[in-house]
Amino acid sequence: MSGAEVTLLILEDEPFIMLDLEMAAEDSGCTVLSSANCSSALSQVESNKVDIAVLDVSLAAGETCLPVAHELAHRGIPFLLHTGDLVGDDGKVRGIDAPVVVKPTVSNEVIDTALALLENGSRADRSYAAE
Amino acid sequence: MRFDDAPERFRSGHPGDTFSGASGVLFEQAMAQTRMAICLVDPHDEDLPIVFANRAFRRLTGYSEEEIVGRNCRFLQGPRTDPEAVARLRDAIKNEDVVVVELLNYRKNGTTFWNALHVGPIYNNEGELVYLFGSQWDVSDVRAARAEEQLAREMSRELSHRMKNMFAVISGIVNVTGRARGISEEAGEINSRIQALGRAYETTLDETSGGSIDIGEAIRAVMNPYQRYEGRLEMEGNGARTPFTAISVVGLVLHELCANATKHGAWSDESDEGKVHLSWVIDEAGANLLIDWHESGGAGIADPSSIEAGGGTAIVDRLLKGSGGSIERDWTGDGLRARIKVPTENPK
Repeated sequence: MSGAEVTLLILEDEPFIMLDLEMAAEDSGCTVLSSANCSSALSQVESNKVDIAVLDVSLAAGETCLPVAHELAHRGIPFLLHTGDLVGDDGKVRGIDAPVVVKPTVSNEVIDTALALLENGSRADRSYAAE
Repeated sequence: MRFDDAPERFRSGHPGDTFSGASGVLFEQAMAQTRMAICLVDPHDEDLPIVFANRAFRRLTGYSEEEIVGRNCRFLQGPRTDPEAVARLRDAIKNEDVVVVELLNYRKNGTTFWNALHVGPIYNNEGELVYLFGSQWDVSDVRAARAEEQLAREMSRELSHRMKNMFAVISGIVNVTGRARGISEEAGEINSRIQALGRAYETTLDETSGGSIDIGEAIRAVMNPYQRYEGRLEMEGNGARTPFTAISVVGLVLHELCANATKHGAWSDESDEGKVHLSWVIDEAGANLLIDWHESGGAGIADPSSIEAGGGTAIVDRLLKGSGGSIERDWTGDGLRARIKVPTENPK
């Protein structure tokens, strides 16, 4: 799937996973913005036209992607959750209706799944339940 | 021999409430001997004083009868007692309900215990409330066990999370290195093996039974990504246990078979209707795990020998040989039939 003219935001605190995702996204033709924490991701969203996002759920220092997920949902930007802790993270992100891609998954597949969100219709079709 | 003369003293103080006849004797004896701490409370006095406490109650709390009788039960509470539980208790008493709450209580010597406190109303023959009955049970051990179990679950989850992250990082390193060196395809192949292994291992964390695991869980985890071939993967097998060490072999072998089916077999682009039936069982002697990989309905290929020479095939053969197992491959018209044997000590 081509990501030409698509700007993709990656929120990930593990440098190698981040780099892998960045490269896969670039291979698909995406413009990549990456952040290792929420405040950086939020300012990326603020100052750029982000089309889709891949969010790691548990970040460094006990942070979760929740604030970013809320902001994206608010702006109608589709995103997916990329996590290794289905049970634990489930509690952290309950109320966010977004597809989940389980770690480890090949980076190309993560990016393809994200790009598919763009094709599968606008955010307007997707319900978002804030708690 | 009299174990406890508290009932007698109670009786002399409450002439209206007699434990009479044979059942009365039994009741007194039972009250005295039971390990259940029991007290009776006067519901008509505003402060709800205890009017009777059996020996187990005194033993549990460390107070003597004189120190107990006449006081409200709250003297067992302390700074860390949950006010909400106490409130539930108070409401139940007010409504003459039966209630069970777990309270942190304090003994005379200041030590604490978790008290499963049961309180309920006792009525006389006329249906009037005469006493509140309280039974206390020290459930500190139960609570500790529950907490320990909870901790173990959390640890196992955390471990699983970290392991998945570790596999994800390894995977990232392999991919990034592959791209940097211009060998993305090779790196991708290595990566898919690592990930199959990661999936196989992740299921084993819940298991604690002495080194043997339910291999079916691992097999299902390895096969999970292939569920996307809707209705074209059937799995059958239950309760087969193998040593922990069988996981890597089984995981990698299945991964190669899946890759092969996607490239050349039942799941290839040419095979719209192809199916894989995967079953596993421990043989009767309990010595081997037998895996049957059965493709059907595929387009088939003209020259199977062109595949057999492939790198994945060689890895599978050597892996199995190294662990004392074997694989027989049969290219039928519509796909591959493979019978795999992986040695296992019978964990029983």
